[in-house]
Amino acid sequence: MNSNPPLLDIQNLSVAFDTDEGPLTAVENVSFSIARGEVLGLVGESGCGKSVTALSLLRLIPMPPGRIQSGKVVFDNRDLLRLPASELQPIRGGQISMIFQEPASALSPLHRVGAQLMETLRLHQAIDRPAAWATSVEWLRKVGIPDPEQRMQAYPYELSGGMLQRVMIAMALMTRPELIIADEPTTALDVTIQAQVLQLLRDMRTQSTALLLITHDLGVVWEMCDRVLVMYASQIVEEGPRSELFHRPCHPYTRALLGSVISLTGSAERLVTIDGQVPSPLSYPRGCRFAPRCPYAFDRCRAGQPPLESIAPQRRSACFMASAFAQGGDMP
Amino acid sequence: MTAPLLQVRDLKTWFPIKRGIFARTTGYVRAVDGVTFAVQAGETVGLVGESGCGKTTLGRTLMGLEPRRAGEIHFGGTPLWPRRHSASLPFRRRIQMIFQDPFSSLNPRLTVLDIITEGLLEHGLIRPRERTEAGVRLLQEVGMDPDVLHRYPHEFSGGQRQRLSIARAMALRPDLVICDEPVSALDVSVRAQVLNLLIDLGAAHRLSYLFISHDLGVIRHICSRVIVMYLGVVVESGPTSGIIDHPVHPYTRALVSAVPVPFGSGRQRVILSGEVPSAANPPSGCRFHTRCPYAMPDCSRIAPPLERFQPSTGAAREVACLRKHELA
Ligand SMILES: Nc1ncnc2c1ncn2[C@@H]1O[C@H](COP(=O)(O)OP(=O)(O)OP(=O)(O)O)[C@@H](O)[C@H]1O
Ligand SMILES: Nc1ncnc2c1ncn2[C@@H]1O[C@H](COP(=O)(O)OP(=O)(O)OP(=O)(O)O)[C@@H](O)[C@H]1O
Ligand SMILES: [Mg+2]
Ligand SMILES: [Mg+2]
Repeated sequence: MNSNPPLLDIQNLSVAFDTDEGPLTAVENVSFSIARGEVLGLVGESGCGKSVTALSLLRLIPMPPGRIQSGKVVFDNRDLLRLPASELQPIRGGQISMIFQEPASALSPLHRVGAQLMETLRLHQAIDRPAAWATSVEWLRKVGIPDPEQRMQAYPYELSGGMLQRVMIAMALMTRPELIIADEPTTALDVTIQAQVLQLLRDMRTQSTALLLITHDLGVVWEMCDRVLVMYASQIVEEGPRSELFHRPCHPYTRALLGSVISLTGSAERLVTIDGQVPSPLSYPRGCRFAPRCPYAFDRCRAGQPPLESIAPQRRSACFMASAFAQGGDMP
Repeated sequence: MTAPLLQVRDLKTWFPIKRGIFARTTGYVRAVDGVTFAVQAGETVGLVGESGCGKTTLGRTLMGLEPRRAGEIHFGGTPLWPRRHSASLPFRRRIQMIFQDPFSSLNPRLTVLDIITEGLLEHGLIRPRERTEAGVRLLQEVGMDPDVLHRYPHEFSGGQRQRLSIARAMALRPDLVICDEPVSALDVSVRAQVLNLLIDLGAAHRLSYLFISHDLGVIRHICSRVIVMYLGVVVESGPTSGIIDHPVHPYTRALVSAVPVPFGSGRQRVILSGEVPSAANPPSGCRFHTRCPYAMPDCSRIAPPLERFQPSTGAAREVACLRKHELA
């Protein structure tokens, strides 16, 4: 997997928003890469910067107030952050497509969903209207939309939350991109439809499409991902192959996150949460950002930030105790 | 048992399909097509079902936001909607909804303070000068930093916005809160915090919840009863753990078997085959028969009634299936 150059390589990405209270750090020094055909999971606390990371790759954050402060996003030997807009445009939705967490970012409320699907297709492929119509209908059927011909005529408000999400998924997949960035693509889907949609995403891999999958559903991460990145307070705190990361998490935040999963067989006990609050991105503490909530924290953690370092092949962790976790026992 | 807080009988909400330049009605999407259930005071009832089966529409109809085509809704013994706006104001306070989409449900032009205290002012529950104090308290209740009071919704992540919607709904101390996927945008730890919060508020104020979710783990954790819908109708309902551990209806079985779990070993999944049928033209007989692995010829002719049923293993419940005795 690592011998070929990666499909997408992100180096030291930092993004801030100018707010009334001063600059807000949304993403700080984030580096990672995705190989062709790979499924990479991105998980982390609400507000930790996952969506901003994803949006920044295609320069889709509002600027201003957003600012990409530094970094490189190399795709196809080109730095997307420095590409002229005219060259970036065909990549968006063509080679790289995005399933947005916010349906309003992808679908206009004023146009019928069919027209929007066809427009996306025709923007990236040389096909005539009847063919675009047929392809759009076929994709709506693939994502499990009932009565697809009829639904082509519907306006977004006439569809349920999960149907809208599936329209966006169809829109992202039908141009056969090389990379799909999917931000919470299945939150509005019941598990049977979700299974069907995840299968479609898996099928895309046979055409070596890569997937960056942002989700809070650790069950979905387990089923789908080859590798997983964990973010906390604007930074990557851990990275590793799925099984190793789940069985032997080497950052206390990852351990706490896995400990809070609500099981299907669970009893009526109180749900496990991580004590304390996430620090405000307007004023992060000096040391490790998880230290105020970390059961293992000691003086050194509060004095300075642990760097994100390699602890094993393909594994990185930003914790002074990482090697102890790596040698310690598996999670129960 | 005392009269339920909410009693819904044979409720139908249909949407006209309008086509052509004269916007002629060519048919109806039967989003909710004959639903009966009750919620007791202080009870948390789960509502699950396939995407598009009518859950949000049911919630919106209970809120008076969609006109119903047929059926009755009684709230605290009083028939609801339609009634004159002035007469319905108290009910608007007593039933609140947390909407599915945290992005479009918050007015982008209002600050956090305006959003979460608007209802309190409208219903005269606080005076204008008590606004900031109330706002700070509400934010603390949902675990958010009070210094966000003067920011706007677009400055927040999906999960943060959902907490704001919860703060807004809880502000009015309602009797019934309809939660439409309230935690699906949240990470597992914040999700657990918010669920604990909903449970605590529920216990402290004897709140009832109608809790719509695709997450059966969450449903199991917080709901004592669950209602399973398929294409506008109820197919099974009863005690949550009984139904999740021993589902009877073939749709419920497929649903329970499809839950992805971390560390999951290859469980036997029921993959539903066949196209998802349309709510504008639902299948005859049992609506699930086109995709049901157990369907027999009668299933396409006879619509099974929702009946009380005691399976050999698992709790007593209501099921709408012709083959329930063989399947249980
Ligand atoms: N337009 C904006 N203006 C100001 N701040 C913003 C803006 N967009 C995002 N932020 C801030 O950037 C941070 C990261 O937000 P982001 O949406 O990336 O979170 P996330 O990890 O995707 O969270 P979630 O899981 O809840 O979707 C948050 O603190 C958020 O408040
Ligand atoms: N305003 C509307 N006009 C026309 N049809 C509508 C409207 N709102 C909903 N529908 C249709 O009603 C049906 C039920 O939609 P609803 O939003 O209630 O589903 P849901 O169970 O909440 O699904 P999800 O889990 O995907 O949110 C769908 O077929 C939908 O397309
Ligand atoms: Mg996000
Ligand atoms: Mg819905």
